[in-house]
Amino acid sequence: MEDEPLFADRPEWADVVPLEQYEGVIPLAPIFYTNEYKDATNYFRGIVKTGEMSPRVLDLTENIIRQNPAHYSAWQYRYKTLIFLNAPLDVELRLMDELAVKYLKTYQVWHHRRLLVQQTKNPAPELEFIADSLQIDTKNYHTWSYRQWILAHFNDDALWSRELEFVESMLNYDLRNNSAWHHRFFVVFQSGVRKGDEDRAEVVRRELTFVKTKISTAPNNASAWNYLRGVLDHSKTPYSSLKSFVTPYSVPHSSHQDVTSEDIVDLENPLPSPGAQLPCVAAIEFMADAHESNGGDDLMRATELWRSLADEHDTMRKKYWEYRIKEALQNVR
Amino acid sequence: MAQPRQSPDDLYATETSDTQAETEAVLLKHVPADPESPPPLQKAQHLQFLVRNLTQGFPSRYTSQDASQPWLLYWTLQSFSVMGVAMDPDNKQKAINTILAWQHPEGGFGGGPGQAAHLLPTYAAVCALAIVGRPGPGGGWDQIDREKLYNFFLSLKEPDGSFLVSHGAEVDVRGTYCLLVVAYVLNLLTPELLEGMPAFIASCQTYEGGFSSASQPYFSAESDGTTKLLDDIRPPLGEAHGGYTFCALASWIMLQPYLNLQDPASPRPSVEYKRLMRWLVQMQGSEIELGGFRGRTNKLVDGCYSWWVGGCFALLASQGVGGGHGQDADHTSTTHEDEEWDDVEEFVWNKLALQRYILCAAQHPASGLRDKPPKSADSYHTLYCLAGLSAAQHNIYPSPARQAQLDQAWQLPSDEQNHELRKTAFTEALSWSEEEGTSHVLGSQANRVNATHPIFNLTMTHTEGIMSHFYKQTVPRRK
Repeated sequence: MEDEPLFADRPEWADVVPLEQYEGVIPLAPIFYTNEYKDATNYFRGIVKTGEMSPRVLDLTENIIRQNPAHYSAWQYRYKTLIFLNAPLDVELRLMDELAVKYLKTYQVWHHRRLLVQQTKNPAPELEFIADSLQIDTKNYHTWSYRQWILAHFNDDALWSRELEFVESMLNYDLRNNSAWHHRFFVVFQSGVRKGDEDRAEVVRRELTFVKTKISTAPNNASAWNYLRGVLDHSKTPYSSLKSFVTPYSVPHSSHQDVTSEDIVDLENPLPSPGAQLPCVAAIEFMADAHESNGGDDLMRATELWRSLADEHDTMRKKYWEYRIKEALQNVR
Repeated sequence: MAQPRQSPDDLYATETSDTQAETEAVLLKHVPADPESPPPLQKAQHLQFLVRNLTQGFPSRYTSQDASQPWLLYWTLQSFSVMGVAMDPDNKQKAINTILAWQHPEGGFGGGPGQAAHLLPTYAAVCALAIVGRPGPGGGWDQIDREKLYNFFLSLKEPDGSFLVSHGAEVDVRGTYCLLVVAYVLNLLTPELLEGMPAFIASCQTYEGGFSSASQPYFSAESDGTTKLLDDIRPPLGEAHGGYTFCALASWIMLQPYLNLQDPASPRPSVEYKRLMRWLVQMQGSEIELGGFRGRTNKLVDGCYSWWVGGCFALLASQGVGGGHGQDADHTSTTHEDEEWDDVEEFVWNKLALQRYILCAAQHPASGLRDKPPKSADSYHTLYCLAGLSAAQHNIYPSPARQAQLDQAWQLPSDEQNHELRKTAFTEALSWSEEEGTSHVLGSQANRVNATHPIFNLTMTHTEGIMSHFYKQTVPRRK
């Protein structure tokens, strides 16, 4: 941009009166802008004042956005101008392909895309574009919520059809990516019932099998345990029904070494990987919750587990585990 | 102190565990030899960092914040307030004049002069005015065009109870939070404005317990040609996140006076507090992370979540969840059956550990506060680290005695519209009080910072000042 002339030096802009940012006010804590930025935004204020919507406004707003992609007013004005001029939006989308990747972390690049796609009504290529962007920044909040919006807003069966495959590819790359886990929950449980998923009990079984496998690979993964809890809560399945799966994770390795050496593999209840660092805090917590909901004598087992978390395995949350103990005992009285 | 344990990666490394391990290696160097004696809070240096920006201006790399000028000022002014520093009258007046230059002719405030009005800078501008402004000509408060502001708010409202942050812009719970704070402070609450907001907020809670940025509405086509918002399919967009969770929870609490005025027989949206509490405590990093907070599951700790997540516990406690809910010193008059439980002054989170993170890792060796080492300091992190430190030091709770006192002193305003709603909002907002003798300052007492309002992030004094003006009330002195 530095080799481009200032707007003040361009004859085709001579008819526009640039507007200084502060007039009659000496601002406290001003930002020291570059000349290029000051020049472009002065002309932008001039344009906003006259309400001009012309092709040169597109040049000007692009110039500002490249200097400061968070300039939401420039984005808004640009969109209004595009619509007013009936400009080709596919061209605009290609420009956005470049800018979105450059300025992944700004709200505006993603929102502008949304507005465009709402006009073009062609969501299918977006999924691929998003997948590519997520290769660069695997947990980008805007990118993931944009994907969820594309799916929900257009709500087309063809769009939804390959989402599980997509989530799995993301989790194969990094099974600790919480954004991918959230996406899975969004797709499977919160967006209506997709074709082939009508048998909800079967869907829950499928998801439990999936998450158990992921837990067995790397047990100390909070995302997977949260997903497991999410599936159980959503389907109102008691935690205690998973005791046989969770138990080996809640104790040190030695306690189940004999089992791993056997040839029998229980596919329903995969065992922790050889590299697993046990006991796993999330498994102890899970067992305690399962015991608590059983109530009765199991309550003491729950409090013992919470005590072990407070004193040994998860001391940062000592106060929380002690609170859980008090609450549980309180409810019995 | 024994060397803290590294987070287990189960001998299965991925991008997440790799960046986690790198961060832990850096943070380990900041673990203090004596956990009870962290480095002191370098107030003088942090003040110097802020003053330099204020008087000399912001260097050109801050151009990225050109659309957030009210934020830059609010972060700076509120950091002063938290550190107990006020500005001289000259600079106050300069600040007021600058803020008024951001007001949009059609209502609301923009990110700078000539920029479109937007809910986020509107919050920042109004809060900055709460700190430096005053009534009367040139004082800033009476120059806010409240009527246009209210109409601006309404013009952003969506059928699902959410709000666009600006015309033609995105929807998210930050907008809801900013709008509600401004409506509270400037006395603009109406049922028309609030209708549908609670259900929207509740729909943003995810399976993890925290809140997302927004949710997606689905509508059914009715036989009469209209559409109807569906209750049972309203998925959150994006995962549970510390910043959105603070905004959603604070909004939820600001909506309670409205909800309590609804017909008890009508359906009431709900938030799952226990799941939220579990998620909040899980955000606190382990010993090797010095007890700092992360903003999402399996992400890195960051100083700003000291406030966004650390600040949530007082809000949650105000709803009777998670212990540590404060108590009036003279509470013998009311008899609780569960007195024994109530007496236990305990918190569910580790307040001392958070202070350790802020003092040991979030202070830049030169000046200002930051995300984590070795990053540089900035105004945003300086405020939210300091506000988080404040949340960790103080125990602020809504005092029933104080609310009763405010209620008694309430003068019926001449404009009686929505009187009950506004009165409750006023007395609840100003009932937040510090529990006597319960502050926990890690290290020297010189590390103590001021308490800040758990919902607004203004000091109590500034909150009382501006609210008493706009509600035309005289606030009784605290006993």
